[in-house]
Amino acid sequence: MTSAGNNPIGSLMIKLFEQSSEVIIFFDRHGKIIAMNPAAEAIMTPEKIRRILQGDGHGICEVCRGFTSEAEQMTCTNCYMHNPELREFTSFQIFLETKGKEVVPYTASFQTIDPEEGTRVLMLRSMIKQYQTQEKLYQNKVMKHVIEAQESERRRISRELHDSVAQELMSAVVDLRVLKYLTDDEKLVGKMNQTEALMTRLLDDVRNLSVELRPATLDDFGLEAAFKTHFKRLEQSYGLLVDFTSSLDKKRYSSEIETVVYRVCQEAVMNALKYAQVDRVEVVLEEKEGMLQLVVEDQGAGFQPGSKPIGTGLGLFGMQERAELVGGVLRVLSKPGEGTRVFLQVPVPSGE
Amino acid sequence: MNNTQYQAILDEMRSQFDYDFMSLALVEPAEFNYVIKWKFASGNLNDGYKRILLKSGRGVPGIVFKTGKPLLIPYVPDFVGPENIFQYPIIKLEDLISLVAVPVWHDGRVAGILLGGYRDDRRVTVQSMQDLQKLVSGGLHDLNGKEMMPS
Repeated sequence: MTSAGNNPIGSLMIKLFEQSSEVIIFFDRHGKIIAMNPAAEAIMTPEKIRRILQGDGHGICEVCRGFTSEAEQMTCTNCYMHNPELREFTSFQIFLETKGKEVVPYTASFQTIDPEEGTRVLMLRSMIKQYQTQEKLYQNKVMKHVIEAQESERRRISRELHDSVAQELMSAVVDLRVLKYLTDDEKLVGKMNQTEALMTRLLDDVRNLSVELRPATLDDFGLEAAFKTHFKRLEQSYGLLVDFTSSLDKKRYSSEIETVVYRVCQEAVMNALKYAQVDRVEVVLEEKEGMLQLVVEDQGAGFQPGSKPIGTGLGLFGMQERAELVGGVLRVLSKPGEGTRVFLQVPVPSGE
Repeated sequence: MNNTQYQAILDEMRSQFDYDFMSLALVEPAEFNYVIKWKFASGNLNDGYKRILLKSGRGVPGIVFKTGKPLLIPYVPDFVGPENIFQYPIIKLEDLISLVAVPVWHDGRVAGILLGGYRDDRRVTVQSMQDLQKLVSGGLHDLNGKEMMPS
């Protein structure tokens, strides 16, 4: 046997034990904790450490909240402590209740290092980072699906209204106009005129509804045309004037990108209308160095970024989410009394 | 329809009732798709009202037009919060604090909307509403004021 003095392994192992960010806990054959490293102590409350080291309490069960089996996310069935020989415990996932935080997932290995003495070691590495990444990835995926589903459903209803309901109404209005020439009864004609006016307005309402849901111009003619119609409608509905500058002309992008830019702009202009107390908004749309850029600017009330929102606050969040979906960047610059500037930048494949 | 006459009627009414702002919305003729717009105004701050195209059931005139009932808003902040005021462009554009709007009838249909409002600390009352209603019940220029059609 070699002594620790002339063999570097011993001191290296001590360093590993003391400095590692990996949690290392040693158990005897009865499951009592013999030793644990500073990393292990760091995740437990002093109270728990005292109880564990004194041997009262329930050993590792003080902090362990179960491991992940094929059947359950957190289970104590077939606990690793009682079945260390099972192969599945060379690498598995357990949940620990840590100091300050809630229950945190760890990737673990549990091995017998001294069969004679029955000494076993549990080594743990926090998986919280991977979990957060996974969660974020999942959220993005779901959000993307939700937005896609919403847009396609809107597109369907909008088309339906435009192509079938509005068309039928249109033929009814035409019929009514024909009817007027079939009689000389002035009272009847007067009544028919009123009905025609009513139906015409109804037709207008249906068309407006269809455009509000999703403008067919966006799918058929692209961003610039869709913006022009949208801003005209804003002027008529709310008296809001939009100074629109665009250098895109008739250039088209993928449906996903166009939808994002359109919806972000719609939301930003609506915010200006609702909160900035202005009747003028400036919108600039251009493509520069492979980037599609949208700027929505007003000289209105402005706000303190990060302050409690007046509305739901979901609008800004939604814009951010939409921008991220197409790999874009959204920046909102504002100061109380100095107006607001919303800046969206989306990379577009060049040479298309 | 005679524009100057409507304008004169509106100006006179405004001085008679002492409103800061009065406006009349009318249904456009067939060639403009029968849309409803604010056609005449007296005491207006700007010409913004001309831009507004009324949507059925929306805004002050939309409500009056759809229901055929007058709308009395003694104090705007009690009626709508700052985050929703944009849905009432005429209130916003003309900075109205207190207003009343009544339907003007023609052959059993709402054919126009007459609006009167204040920008200062004066408030419209049920009396102001009744005064306007009484005035338009006898007709307004081309509009005969008849709420019921003799059948």
